[in-house]
Amino acid sequence: MSHFLFIQSQDPFTEVAASRQYQLAAELAKAGNQVQVLLVQNGVTPARKGANCPAFDALLASSVSVLADEFALRQREFGENHLRDGVQPAEIGLVVDAMLAGHKVIWN
Amino acid sequence: MNKTSPLNNTLTFAFMDPPFENERTITFFRLLDAALEKNANVRVFAYEGAVALAFARQQQHGNAVHGRDTETENHPLTKDWISALQRKSKDKGLSFEWINCGLCVDERGVNEAVEGCGRGGPADLWRYASESHNTLAIGTR
Repeated sequence: MSHFLFIQSQDPFTEVAASRQYQLAAELAKAGNQVQVLLVQNGVTPARKGANCPAFDALLASSVSVLADEFALRQREFGENHLRDGVQPAEIGLVVDAMLAGHKVIWN
Repeated sequence: MNKTSPLNNTLTFAFMDPPFENERTITFFRLLDAALEKNANVRVFAYEGAVALAFARQQQHGNAVHGRDTETENHPLTKDWISALQRKSKDKGLSFEWINCGLCVDERGVNEAVEGCGRGGPADLWRYASESHNTLAIGTR
């Protein structure tokens, strides 16, 4: 089993690749790996309540842990009450923790 | 890329975005700051447009549209962020190394880098990554 952290800067509303990136994360988790996705920059947009994105719904329905950069949320005036269930705010320092722990950290 | 090595608290970052263009630059600098906060030594390999991040001749400017002079506008410069990270690493007894890809520098004519930023080539990225505990490559897409 490997540990993966995807830093997800791309959003599904402007980047076609984002849906495939979610799918890869979910498939890695399904294969028995520990997978986290940290949404950063505009990558946080599908995490807003009311956002319509079936690909992101599928990611949330998987065993992937989905986190959102608090800084990116504040920039976009997302409060915790605006976040969809299953998305947790997080500090960007968790990227460094994952790197120091030897996890596979990948920028999307 | 990750591996076990004697430099188990050293992290390498490869970055290619130019200054003043994309939110990735902000995220990248936040990651460097977070690494120092967590007492990691930092190595940066800057290539393509990112070699201009350390360009010593960057200058602040005013904003006539908003009626602000240079001092009031206080436009952030990436060369100053690099210097601030260098000071932070020194204060914490950590290392902060920065190498610009020489070919990329020559193409852009940004040879004058702030003190502490060196010139090298892709072999330095290989060396950094080989010696570091982990490496993050931040692509443009």
